[in-house]
Amino acid sequence: MRTAHWVTILTLASMVLGGRAVRSQAPSVPAAFRRSLQAFNPDVSAIVDLYYHADDSREGVGHLLEEIAGFGHAHDDGDGHRHGPEEGFNLRHVELYVSADVDPYFKGSAIAAVDVHEAELETAEIETTALPWGLKLRGGKFYSDFGRINPQHSHQWDFVDRPLIHRLALGDHGLNDIGLQLTWLAPTPFYLLAGVEAFQGDNEAMFAHRGEQPLPSREGPRVGVGWLKAGPSLEGPHALQFGVFGAVGRHQEEHDGDGDGEPDHWLDGENAFWGGDLVYKYDASRPNGEGDFVAQAEYFRRRKDLDLVAHDLRPDLVGRVRTDEQDGYYVQAVYGVAPRWRLGARWEQAGLINESELPNGARESFGVSHRASLMVDFTPSEFSRIRLQVARGSYATEEGREEAFEVWAQWMISIGAHGAHKF
Amino acid sequence: MNGRLGLAVVLGALASGAAPLRIVTTTSDLAAIASAVAGGGAETHSLCSGREDPHVLQARPGMILRARDADLWIRVGLELEIGWEPAVLDGARNARIRPGARGHLDLSEVALILDVPEGPVTRAMGDVHPMGNPHYWLDPLNGRRMAAAIAERIAELRPDLADAVRANAAAFQRALDERMFGPRMVEAVGGDALWSRALDGTLDAFLDEPSQRDKLGGWVAAMRPWRGAAIVTYHRSWIYFARRFGISVIGELEPKPGVPPTAAHLAALEERARAAGVRIVLQEPFYSPKAARRLAERIGGRVVTVAGSVGGEREATDYLALLDLIVRRITEGA
Repeated sequence: MRTAHWVTILTLASMVLGGRAVRSQAPSVPAAFRRSLQAFNPDVSAIVDLYYHADDSREGVGHLLEEIAGFGHAHDDGDGHRHGPEEGFNLRHVELYVSADVDPYFKGSAIAAVDVHEAELETAEIETTALPWGLKLRGGKFYSDFGRINPQHSHQWDFVDRPLIHRLALGDHGLNDIGLQLTWLAPTPFYLLAGVEAFQGDNEAMFAHRGEQPLPSREGPRVGVGWLKAGPSLEGPHALQFGVFGAVGRHQEEHDGDGDGEPDHWLDGENAFWGGDLVYKYDASRPNGEGDFVAQAEYFRRRKDLDLVAHDLRPDLVGRVRTDEQDGYYVQAVYGVAPRWRLGARWEQAGLINESELPNGARESFGVSHRASLMVDFTPSEFSRIRLQVARGSYATEEGREEAFEVWAQWMISIGAHGAHKF
Repeated sequence: MNGRLGLAVVLGALASGAAPLRIVTTTSDLAAIASAVAGGGAETHSLCSGREDPHVLQARPGMILRARDADLWIRVGLELEIGWEPAVLDGARNARIRPGARGHLDLSEVALILDVPEGPVTRAMGDVHPMGNPHYWLDPLNGRRMAAAIAERIAELRPDLADAVRANAAAFQRALDERMFGPRMVEAVGGDALWSRALDGTLDAFLDEPSQRDKLGGWVAAMRPWRGAAIVTYHRSWIYFARRFGISVIGELEPKPGVPPTAAHLAALEERARAAGVRIVLQEPFYSPKAARRLAERIGGRVVTVAGSVGGEREATDYLALLDLIVRRITEGA
């Protein structure tokens, strides 16, 4: 009897660990029990995303993107390493993903992002599954659900890289922060989802907080986001969704005006962004994605409104205001040209509005950057993808206009039980 | 379906002010059986149309609306819907239909399941379903069991509908049995007895008895000449149907589940098909017919293209019509 128990336990353990079906070894284990055992174990998966990048710009596109006029200087992440593609091989962080229903009320998931230099918690979240009236509360560290690109993980994107305007306005990680989100699925005959989010405020590009003298310390939460997504209830192969979004939050910057390596003036104020998004999907219902079509666009505009709180070199300007206004958009379409093969094109501009008003009263206006990208990808199975992407960009930098041609080759896989992708 | 009974249920529901039960199914086959069972007491909607492949459907906002308002969610299970169902259920915020709730019915729990992998499973084997082959609705016996399970679940959720749905399920089973074995055989022997014989393996010998032969009708009679035949299918989606009617599936056009046919695989398959005397290459309309045609031409067989789901073709209007159509396509021109 005891031996039989051990055999069962060991077989079950080997099934859990090695993904073995136990029927042949332990026919006495009922199917329902096997199923429930599986259900209690979290889904675990890992994503490995390797890409090669080359471009013909002087210092590399990764550097170029930090010099775009009007979008400010690169803010060092603190850990010394610069983001953006490096010439040659890049291993985008490996995502280790765990998720499961916690109990009848909550669901939990976490993603540890490990790269060659560091490990960080990309997301760790709890969400409710049993609130009434179409409500859902979500908390932890998560991606803001505004727009199309921001909520998606990089492996879900149709192109290797983040759209230009997202990269320039929110940095390499997008808006991903610690906070709380409340969403409401309205009982309307069409799809209407509304969300409000409060974040602590930790985005280097738009919502940074330093809180050290001479900058004031601001209590969190320092960022509020709101968005609406709506779409008609289409039957058949078509799906359409519109979105609008906006965010407001506290922001602080320190600058080194004379280039001696020490900050000499400090800004504190309020930043905001708003915009809209649109996606249309056609599901051809042919095997392996043939004939499927997705078109997607987003417009994003931001305004920075900062007070000069201290200036070591020009104390007379303290109390004056600096404002920045920039915008950008992308439009992209992807089509399944053959089973497992997709072709995509993306056009984007950043800085159609691109103005700064400095504390000394000077007004500056900068140029428009644009980029056109083409990609082709091959999806051997749901769990792997190989992609080739080229881009031709013209960038308005602080040192004048620079053109760059980029090539990307990407190879990514997902192992384990990966969750379904949202619309 | 008993029309008068359905009408009575509708009137009853109106009189008592009870709203119809809203049933959402992942596939059209489940919807067809559910609406036969629920009759007028429910509104039934399928997310996958029957022309679509439920493996690769994508979550869409319209599906979330359906799931939001559903009282009962019925799925095939066995990870068939894994690519989109979780996103729909999460998006719908409807605790009544989440897995584990009484409004969530996974019919793989009552169906007879084939192809449960015996050894280690890896994805190098292609899109293998580690809990078994999910195309079980194509076995009429499973259709019968699914109807009973749906009736019991509706009865539990809505006791006021219990009598009506149990009667509807019994009527559905009776109609299915008659289409399967012919009305005279069902009249003489009884559906339950025939299915028990199918389960314990004594059915064929029983039907071969001279005294039974003239009573036999329906799909079993039509498929009788095909007993022992070997076929090739595109995807491993016909195993349940084939097994029920004594046909052996000796291979698939896909080298591995979910992987499109390759020339090398077709060449190897051709030899096996020739050796086994395959006359039929069977596939659903949503797959490209090129590989099937090539193989059929080489082995001197024919391609049978037929819907594997209700709504996959115009004639497949409900579950019984679907099986009628499949039997007709296989047996015609033979």
